[in-house]
Amino acid sequence: MPVTSSAKIPVEERLFSLVLALLATETGLTKNEVLSTVQGYRQRYRPGGDNANLERQFERDKDDIRDLGVPLETVESPGQAGNNQNLRYRIPRGAYELPSDITFSVEETTLLNLAAMVWREGSLSGESRRAMMKLKGLGLVPDEPVLGYAPRLRVRDAAFEPLRAALEKNAVVRFAYLKPGEAEARVRTVAPLALIQHQGRWHLHAEEPDTRMTKTFLLRRIVSQITTTGATFPAPSGDQTGRALRELEEVWNSHTADVEVVADSDAATRLHKRRGTVILPSGALRLHYSDANIFADELAGYGPEVLVLSPPVLRAAVHSRLLKTVEEHTDREASNG
Amino acid sequence: MAERQAPLHAQDKLAFLLSLVPFLMEHESISVHEAADHFGVKPEQIREAVELIAVSGIPGETGQYQHGDLFDLAWDDFEDNDQIVLTNLVAIDDAPRFSGREAAALIAGLQYLSALPENADRSAIATLMTKLSRGASALPSQVAVEDSETDTTLALIRESVAAGVQIEFDYLNSRGEHERRRVDPLRIESMDADWYLRGWCHLREAVRTFRLDRIGNPEITSEPITFHAADVHLPDTLFEGSADDLAVTIDVAPAAAALLTDYIPEGAVSSEADGRKRTSLRVSHYHGLKRLVGGMPGVVTVVEPAAARAAVAEWAAAGAARYEDD
Repeated sequence: MPVTSSAKIPVEERLFSLVLALLATETGLTKNEVLSTVQGYRQRYRPGGDNANLERQFERDKDDIRDLGVPLETVESPGQAGNNQNLRYRIPRGAYELPSDITFSVEETTLLNLAAMVWREGSLSGESRRAMMKLKGLGLVPDEPVLGYAPRLRVRDAAFEPLRAALEKNAVVRFAYLKPGEAEARVRTVAPLALIQHQGRWHLHAEEPDTRMTKTFLLRRIVSQITTTGATFPAPSGDQTGRALRELEEVWNSHTADVEVVADSDAATRLHKRRGTVILPSGALRLHYSDANIFADELAGYGPEVLVLSPPVLRAAVHSRLLKTVEEHTDREASNG
Repeated sequence: MAERQAPLHAQDKLAFLLSLVPFLMEHESISVHEAADHFGVKPEQIREAVELIAVSGIPGETGQYQHGDLFDLAWDDFEDNDQIVLTNLVAIDDAPRFSGREAAALIAGLQYLSALPENADRSAIATLMTKLSRGASALPSQVAVEDSETDTTLALIRESVAAGVQIEFDYLNSRGEHERRRVDPLRIESMDADWYLRGWCHLREAVRTFRLDRIGNPEITSEPITFHAADVHLPDTLFEGSADDLAVTIDVAPAAAALLTDYIPEGAVSSEADGRKRTSLRVSHYHGLKRLVGGMPGVVTVVEPAAARAAVAEWAAAGAARYEDD
């Protein structure tokens, strides 16, 4: 087949050729070898000339390839440590290929299809689609729609994507945060460790570089853009999401409220079904919650169907919310008579 | 910026090529249509990819892409019969690993679905998650969703959907009315932490959506369903507007507007003043509206019509009255 044609080489052909070339080499190729021999670069390579554009192209291509999960490595030439011109690039086969002992049963594939369906929007939907494509490359059963289910997990918080990007780069971020119950937002600078969804809400688990204390932020309460400070931090070790979920769970377990609900009301039906609800001998319900201000909003929505008995702080919070809603929906002229 | 768009597109094509090659290696001979069905793409996309694979390869010892350094294809079979037979293979032996992000997306999806009866076997799910982590080229990124416990109502509804039989339950609608409903269960849906049953309601003689946490005393019947998912229109969106909907104008804190997306009709006109966004909502009745607005105190205010404002004020006042001795 003709491969010396000077016609414009499509981007995917150049990327594919680069992956093939770097997979095939044991010792790695130098940048110069890549630019002068690999399809898509070599057509534009000027021997002995200025290849700055092509070099920049190569840098971008490396990022795009790594982004797909292809482990493109940089190795130093033996005896030439520190010499940038002699860095060698390769894709080690063992790190590239799916280990042969990893196989998926039909049942597992069905579950994975469902899991991929969960993400309908945002970058996670692209990631799961791509993962399913890789699974299909294994020859697994094509994805027949999983009958009877349509699960959806949304990420409506604008802070989610920039935080996820920062999380992967171990980049320190800055944002204004309106702590529940406080009137003014405060600027926080933190090292993001994990993004977790708990009780239907997304949280950021992060460490404050100054105090080394870990804190959890509700994404919905981030009121500014996320900016990176330029600083990075060493990748944390251990299971950050597991730790963050355990901490959120502890908080949720330790907060309880006793409420009275009107029998057969919407509040009675739904609050009875809430996870962890206990019916007290008096007929009142003991409920768990994470944050008094957020839970007060939820309870206020039930209007007269719920009466908070304790704790006093939650009782007061629900009462003041109801009064505020009345005030905002009462016309001044009318109330003045 | 157009420059930035192109590589993204090419990146997906690259991922496709890297997945397609091992698949074609497994199948000594496969038709373009079979491959297209398998990957869920158009036959043309398979043909284009195969044509590219067939002329690709490695520079080789000469650095000249000699014949043996390239993939090759039984061209006659391909051109005449639309059949794919790779006759020479290079560089690729196996399927690629997942990226850390891809593995994380699926793991988080599995965590989210942990309430499903299919996921009741926790050790099987744990094994599957471990496989995804081990099959990734990097540590799965730190994104996770809380596990939830298997729900008995959900399990019962799932059983009725799978068996194709009608189900009966007590349902409390948002007007606060109790009714015994008989439903042809068609699809179990979810939106974040909330689960719904979509089905044909024999009482209303229409497709209806039921919140699982409003369903009481569910019972499976032996009666087969009368309507199937293919017989009725099941929209992709959970909440569908109807012609009888009431329009309501509201002011909302801009940061909270996203939380109301489901109620804001397409093409709604919005304006912003004094740091508040004015827009319109569509609701089926004020019983639902008063609960919605009551649950977002200080964030959403109904502007008009007056009847809607009154419904919200009355609801909140009745709630506040229960604390009047405080």
